[in-house]
Formats: sequence, structure tokens, C-alpha cells
Amino acid sequence: MSKPQMIRSALTLARTLALIAAAAPFGHAQFGMDTPAKPKNYVTYTAEAQTVPAAKPAVLQLRFQLLQGFHVNSHTPKSEFLIPTALTLQPAAGVKAGDLEYPPGQPFSFSFDPKEKVDVYAGAFIVKLPVVATAGEHTMDGTLKYQACDNASCYPPRTIPVKILFTAKSRD
Amino acid sequence: MMVAGISLVVWSGYQNLRERRLAAQARQANRVTLIPDNPNSPGTASADAPDAPSPLLGKPAPPLSLVDLNGRHVTLSDFKGHPLVVNFWGTYCAPCKIEMPWLETFSKKYAADGFDVIGVTYDSEVGKDTISKDVQKLGVTYPILLSDPKAEKDYLSDTEVLPMSFYVDRTGKVVQVTAGLGSEDQLEAMVKETIAAGAK
Repeated sequence: MSKPQMIRSALTLARTLALIAAAAPFGHAQFGMDTPAKPKNYVTYTAEAQTVPAAKPAVLQLRFQLLQGFHVNSHTPKSEFLIPTALTLQPAAGVKAGDLEYPPGQPFSFSFDPKEKVDVYAGAFIVKLPVVATAGEHTMDGTLKYQACDNASCYPPRTIPVKILFTAKSRD
Repeated sequence: MMVAGISLVVWSGYQNLRERRLAAQARQANRVTLIPDNPNSPGTASADAPDAPSPLLGKPAPPLSLVDLNGRHVTLSDFKGHPLVVNFWGTYCAPCKIEMPWLETFSKKYAADGFDVIGVTYDSEVGKDTISKDVQKLGVTYPILLSDPKAEKDYLSDTEVLPMSFYVDRTGKVVQVTAGLGSEDQLEAMVKETIAAGAK
């Protein structure tokens, strides 16, 4: 096949494909993520056994992982209407818990409006919990409230239970 | 040559989709959810994005009978004969707030065609005052109604994606359904199609 013939064939193919695309029904449009497997959880908590010195100030690290392509508002979102990611913990015997330390968020803008920035966590984030605990094994229960979005849609706020397991060890 | 070209494009498209699905499955398989979602938490029933066309598409829009922010009772039949968009949104939904001013613009731009917009707030955690404040900040003047379980069941089914819009032509038929934020141009094109769809 000559070069002009090849170009003509390629153009004909492109036109045919464009016609096929144009003929597709246009009644339902989903903008945003192409997610073949629809998730039930947008955030997961990885419970890691941690060891801290007994009766001394220590910091527990609580790791949360987001599904790829999703984000949640940071603990300090820029709008009063957005729902912050927040961890609530129940008191536990033998554990004196300090104020939770949340990481800073990162700026994110939605498609079609790059000027409007929100402050989010994406990928993974760690919340730090200062504790002073008596010697022994401890369990703290709590819940993480979050509200997830992808690059075009948002989903109602949710909570997941969080169980913190750690051991406070004496030196002797 | 043509057939071979089309076959090649279709085959490579299928392969690409298959690879993306396998990769997504692998990502899911590698992730261990140590603590599952709380089955009693609100919004846990299903927050899945709709990947199939809405069952409402091509059917008469289900009746709506809701209260607006001023306590007035509003029904869908109040808009009989008007092409309109029923837009579900929430105060926590940032992409909703990008498209709502566009809808406001179109409600004015196509008012001569009888075009109307109804906002339905799908937001169980906030009260009327917060919604009013947000609406005022957005500069939205079209009716904002407070959702109820019946409206959610009839329109959203088990979907919880926001924004979600239902384009209803002047005969009362749902002619377009969108989930998520599109571009302003896409949105305007659908408004125009909706106006044209029921025109006599």
C-alpha cells in the first residue's frame, strides 16, 4: 500500500470510530473515577501492635490508608461546610492520653475549577497520639469520622471503628 | 485493512480495560481491612458510584413532595410542562458547589424556554440554617428542597454519589442522568438537549 493510501485508510478508520462514538447513547454520564471494583471502605485503619516505655511520655502512631483515587478532608478543612477527618477515642484504664496530633493536609482542586482549593489527606496519613501508660497491655477504642470524595464526586460521611493495641513495658 | 484496523483498536481497548481491572483487583486483594466499616454507621448501606444507567432514564420522573428552606411545600407537579434539572447535592460536597452556580446561570439564561432547576439537599447531618447559609454564599436562588427517605429511594436508589442530576423534559420524562461533576459546557449541552427533548 502506498503512503497516501495508508493515510486515507487511517483517516477513514478515524472517521468510522468517531461515528461509532457519536452513535453511543447519551443519557447517562458518570464523571470522575473509573473504578471497576466499587469500594465499601474509602479509609482503612492498620492496627499495628506498638510498644512504649511504661510511665513515660510516648507517642503512638495510628496509620490510615485511603483507597487510590480518593481523598478525605484534612482535620482542618478550609471551609466551615466541609466535614473534618476526626478521631474520637474512649478513655482507657491506665492510659493518660494527650491531644491528638493530625498531619497537615495537602491542597487539592476539583476538575473544572482549579482555582478552588480544598485541604485533604490522600494516600496514607498518620495521626499521633501522645500517651503515658502504666505497665501492661492496653486497648483503646475509638472511631474515625471522615467524608470521602474522588476527583468529581463526594460520598456521605462515614465512621470506622479504631482499636489501638499497645504494650507499655517497664525497663526492669 | 479497515476491518483489521478496527479489530486492532477494539482488541487493544479490551486488553487495556482488562489490565486495568486486573490491576484494580490486585490492589483490592493486597489490602487487608483489619477493621471493617461499621455496619451501623450512617451511609454504610452503599456508597457505590453508579456504573450502570439509572433505572429512571427514559421513565417519568418520580413524584417529589418536599419542603423548601422557607417551609413551603413544593411538588414536582408545580413544574409541570417545564424542562428542569433535579439536582441532589450536600453542604459537604465541594464538586456540587462548583456546578450549582452554573445551574443558577442556566436557570436564568434559559428561563424563556421555561427551564427550571430544583436543588434537593441530601445531607442528614446539618440543619436548615446551615443549608441556607451555604446556599446564600453560593448565590443560588432556585428552589432548594430538603430531601426525605422517599425522594432518596425513588431517585437515588442505593446510590449515594453527589452531585447527582436528573434532567426532566417538559413531558415529565427523565432524559439524562449524571453522577459527579462534569464541565460547564457538558452541563449546558445537557440543559439544551433537555429543553429540546420535549419541545413540540
